[in-house]
Amino acid sequence: MRYMLAVSAVLALFTLIARDGAHAGQTGQAKPMIDIQDAWVRRASAMGNGAVYVTIRNQGSAPDALLSAATDVADRAELHETMGGSGRMMMQPLAKIDVPAGGTLEMKPGGYHIMLLGLTRDLKPGDTVTLTLRFERAGDMRIQATVR
Amino acid sequence: MGRTTFLWILALVVVLGVAGALVHEYRSDQLNEGTFRLPRRAPDFVLKTPDGAEFRLSQQRGKVVLVDFGYTFCPDVCPMTLAELAQVRTRFGEAAKRVQVVFVTIDPERDTPERLRSYTATFDPSIVGLTGSPEQLAQVRQAYGVVAEKQVVSGTSAAYLMAHSAYVYVIDPQGQLQTLFPFGMSVEEMANQIKPLLEG
Repeated sequence: MRYMLAVSAVLALFTLIARDGAHAGQTGQAKPMIDIQDAWVRRASAMGNGAVYVTIRNQGSAPDALLSAATDVADRAELHETMGGSGRMMMQPLAKIDVPAGGTLEMKPGGYHIMLLGLTRDLKPGDTVTLTLRFERAGDMRIQATVR
Repeated sequence: MGRTTFLWILALVVVLGVAGALVHEYRSDQLNEGTFRLPRRAPDFVLKTPDGAEFRLSQQRGKVVLVDFGYTFCPDVCPMTLAELAQVRTRFGEAAKRVQVVFVTIDPERDTPERLRSYTATFDPSIVGLTGSPEQLAQVRQAYGVVAEKQVVSGTSAAYLMAHSAYVYVIDPQGQLQTLFPFGMSVEEMANQIKPLLEG
C-alpha cells in the first residue's frame, strides 16, 4: 500500500512538471507575426482631415491588437470604424482593433480606417506618408503609405 | 385523391402564387434602393457657392446633376463618394461638362466657404460646394429625405461627428429625379446609369 502511494505521488509530480513545462513552452513560442500590406491614404486638403487604410495580417500563433497610430502629417490619428448603410452612416472611435492569430484585418472606405485629424499639409496623390502603428504585443511598426 | 387531381391542384396553387406575386409587385409603390418607379421632379433649391454666387438647381437644365450631402470634417465616406463621382465624370470625356457634381454641406457650422472649396477641389475642381443658412439647408435635406444628426462621441478629439445618409441623388437634364446611388456603388455602374440620361 505504501509502495502504491509513493508511485502515485511520483506520477502526480511528473504530470505536474510535464504540464507546466508544456505550458511554458507554449507561451514561449506563441507570438503574433504582424505584417502590413496595401497601406494608402486618401488625398486631402490641409484644411480638412484624412484617412489611412491598411491591411494587417497576423500569421503568428497569438492574437494581437492595433492600439494606436501616429504620424507627423496630422495632429492626431484615431482608430475609427464607419458603421451603418447608405440610409445612415456613422463613425465610431475604437480603443483598439483586434487582429486574431492567423487572421487578417482589412481597412477600407466605409469600414475600419485610421482617421487623421488636423492635417499639417495637403496630401497629394503620389506623396508618401510615414506612420507608426502601435500593437499590443508586436510593439511599434513604422510603415509608409502612398497618397492616392 | 387521384394522382392527376393532386397534380392539377398543385398546378393551380403555383399559378395563383405567381399571379399573386405579380399583382403585389405591380401595386408596390415603395421606393427601392437604386431606382424610383417613376421619375419625379427634383425639389428645387437655391444655395450659395463658396464664391457667394447663387446656385439654383432649376438653372442646371441640360446637365445631369449629381447631388451629394456631406461634411468636410468627414474623412472616410464623403471623400470616397466625391473621389468616385470625379472618376465617373472622367468616363464621359467632352460630355463631362454636362455632368455637374454638387456637394451640399450638412455641417454649416464648421464648413466655411474656404473649407468647402478646398475640400471639393481636392477631388475635382468642377465640383461645386454648396452652403446656406441652417434653415435653408434643413429645408433642402427635408425635401430630399436626407438624414443628418450631430453626434457627440467619446473617444475622439473631434467636438462632434455627423451621422448621415450617403445617397447620391441623380437628376436628369430635364430636372427629374431619376435614381439614388447607394454608398459603395461602383464607378462603372454609376457611369452606366448616367449615360442614357445624357443621351436622352
